[in-house]
Amino acid sequence: MKAYLAHIRTTMKLTMRDRIVLFFNYLLPLLFFIVFAQSFGADRGGAISQVITMVLIMGVLGSGFFGAGLRAVQERELNILRRFKVAPITPLPLLVSSLVTGVLAYLPSLAMILLVSRFYYGMPWPERWLSLTLLLTLGLVAFRSIGLIIASVVNSMQESQIIIQLMYLPMLFLSGATFPVGMLPHWLQMIAQFMPATYLYTGLNGILVRKESLAENWLPVTGMLITTLVAIFLAVKLFRWEKDEKLPARAKLWIAAVMLPFLLMGGWQLYRQDNIVKAKTLFREMRRNRALLIRGPRIFTGERVISAGGLLIRDGRIAEVYETVPPEKDAKAEVMEAAGKTLLPGLIDARVHLAMLDGGMERKLAAYLYCGVVAVRSVGDPPELRAVRAKIASGELLGAEAVADASPRFDQPSLSAAEARVEASLGKSALLDLSLVLQVAPEGMIEAARKLLKPDGRAPGETLEAASDKLLRAWKAGLPLLAGTDSGIPLLVHGPAIHRELQLWVKAGIPPHAALQAATSANAQALGFADRTGRIRKGLEASFLVVDGNPLEEIAATERISSVFFRGERVDRASLFKVD
Amino acid sequence: MSETAIFVRDLHKSYGSLEAVKGIGFEVRTGEVFGLLGPNGAGKTTTVEILEGLRPRSAGQVSVLGLDPARQSREIKDRIGVCLQTTNLPDKITVAEAMELFAAFYSRNTDTNHLLDRLQLREKRDAFYSTLSGGQKQRLALALAMVNDPQLVFLDEPTTGLDPQVRLEIHSLIQELREARRTILLTTHYIEEAERLCDRVAIIDHGRIIAMGTPREIQARTLGQSLIELRTAQPLPSLMPAFAEAGKIVVSDDRRSLTAWSPRPARTLVDLVKWVDQTGVELADIHLKRPTLEDVFIELTGKRLRD
Repeated sequence: MKAYLAHIRTTMKLTMRDRIVLFFNYLLPLLFFIVFAQSFGADRGGAISQVITMVLIMGVLGSGFFGAGLRAVQERELNILRRFKVAPITPLPLLVSSLVTGVLAYLPSLAMILLVSRFYYGMPWPERWLSLTLLLTLGLVAFRSIGLIIASVVNSMQESQIIIQLMYLPMLFLSGATFPVGMLPHWLQMIAQFMPATYLYTGLNGILVRKESLAENWLPVTGMLITTLVAIFLAVKLFRWEKDEKLPARAKLWIAAVMLPFLLMGGWQLYRQDNIVKAKTLFREMRRNRALLIRGPRIFTGERVISAGGLLIRDGRIAEVYETVPPEKDAKAEVMEAAGKTLLPGLIDARVHLAMLDGGMERKLAAYLYCGVVAVRSVGDPPELRAVRAKIASGELLGAEAVADASPRFDQPSLSAAEARVEASLGKSALLDLSLVLQVAPEGMIEAARKLLKPDGRAPGETLEAASDKLLRAWKAGLPLLAGTDSGIPLLVHGPAIHRELQLWVKAGIPPHAALQAATSANAQALGFADRTGRIRKGLEASFLVVDGNPLEEIAATERISSVFFRGERVDRASLFKVD
Repeated sequence: MSETAIFVRDLHKSYGSLEAVKGIGFEVRTGEVFGLLGPNGAGKTTTVEILEGLRPRSAGQVSVLGLDPARQSREIKDRIGVCLQTTNLPDKITVAEAMELFAAFYSRNTDTNHLLDRLQLREKRDAFYSTLSGGQKQRLALALAMVNDPQLVFLDEPTTGLDPQVRLEIHSLIQELREARRTILLTTHYIEEAERLCDRVAIIDHGRIIAMGTPREIQARTLGQSLIELRTAQPLPSLMPAFAEAGKIVVSDDRRSLTAWSPRPARTLVDLVKWVDQTGVELADIHLKRPTLEDVFIELTGKRLRD
């Protein structure tokens, strides 16, 4: 025990005297922190957790591979270990001392980064600070153990450099230390699952962003514990005090033995994918949590109109609604100028048939979101919907929220459905040529649909005029109106139909204001999630669209979508249909 | 305390098919300074490392301070002091910290201040290792070897690579240890070091002990002839009488110097001087060299120590 303490104390002193160590442990992380924080816009909220995780992972990798690994080789090569060989000690105090001092020397860096995050970037103290510290400690210990096992099996400085670079660089670039894992193509993410640093990334990020506990991260915790124990056991067995003692090349396979838990976990992830999903959703949360100030748009709140106001969103929610244009420097947020545009709550389609029409469920719900529809009520509840719904809820996938509800209380005439039925019975395909329809339809679908169309001579049921008339009378009678489309029937492609519906309502004589209200706040009320969405109001989900022009005067303006926001994230509409 | 500090009988050590030590046996008495001499690869280091408990042996009996190094290496390491060649310490460790660190490894400690005083390292207490001179580093290595107040000290080439001044300092330290009745096992390349410091010496070559005894005994036991060298101002005549008692005589090409070996050097010296005087050649220089351990070593092994 005396030997352990003495060695730890001495190594600690030596560490603090070593300028290189100080640079890599404290100055470099701080520099990277500031660079990342600036480039990720952390001072404007949102990405700070991501930036902290990145810098911590970088630090852990450096501490493990260079601080522990390379240094251990150096001590052997410089004949320092030789001096210890004749003392009545085993290698264990030296190895344990490397682990302990690595952690002790690194923790001030964590404190420093959290302090800067707190006081410069305004991030609250991490709620799960103990879990964060423990997981980071475990990460340091595991990576230093990996470093020590590398030192145990290499025969020279050059060999250690090569092996360390071979392990360090992929981990640096693929495991989330330089970009969020969620940004990478899927196949690279799969490869990343074989690296312990990836689990440290999802673990640390989960603790910071989702306030997870250590126990919720039992998988990486177990993996790193096993790695540490195996590595230290082998490092004692393979320990060499002298540089002249060489190990055969096959000894390097022991590195694989130490990495085995993560090789197994990687294999398991190929099948389970849950850590990949976690990385993707964490990335999504990062995008959702950013702060953005939208200046100057006309705002339709779902009930009333603000002629030129502003909106601040943060952490996926509406943080503030401004009645006048807010000053640019008001909040720490990215700024989007939107004067002359109209911001309105995400549209809701109260009646669709998701099981109908070709195309996968994911694609259909993505098409809704593309068109600014953030939620739909599906009359049926096809089994494939459930899995997709869960993926959308977790953020793994982007798409409109889909509620399944077959109750007839929503049944009211759909003008776009009436129109589509009439057109279909006449064999006309003009509805397929609408711009938004062409934008969202899967390749080949329009052509296929067109070929099937021919006049069938059957009565189309209710005409558009009759349906319009019925709707107008209902509105005049003061009945509550909900906007639904029956999308899924022939000619009514999933996604854009609600815009057509609104146009037909206005043509029928309903004022645009009332039509928009039906498609937003009224629908949200009827579907039971008015407390979350459907309005532009402080505290609700930041799901809305920004359109060019003024739909309150010219309803077709809703189709001229400038941007769609879903739960705080500005949806990259162009890549919504990308399959990876 | 037992009279025998180290006991070795029929010690063998093989590395695969290579036999590095082929049946060595010797005994070191308590309080004795025992020297192991031999060229590189002779088996010296292997033997010493077996004694220090750093290497297992292949066969034979070994006892160090009454303990078996193969089974009780920890106890042995705790009680001995070892000063290895070419060891290093981290650059930024101070002398005092190094002493403190190594002291923590042993169950028994000596007064480190006193030790540093004796090794003239007191004023260097807070100096970083990297700032020490070669001699200071070596003195620190000795201090570290003494930190557990060992009964038995192994010194592996303690003065190799040091300048003569520092070498003398180290020699006087070893003398001091000897006066304090510590047992010392010294390996060295320097014959004069062995001659000067050791009570007894064993010469090892090819894994065997080829001679053992006091330096004087070893010199006497060999054929050791003294050597007479003379130089003259003019060339010596080519015709030379036979000198009684003299061994081989070699004259240089320019005939201005002559080397003669003799078991009875006084007699040969007189004969030589007489002859030179008779020839009328002026004698420039003459001296007589007694055989050294080095000469003995060359005679025994056919090679120089520092090959």
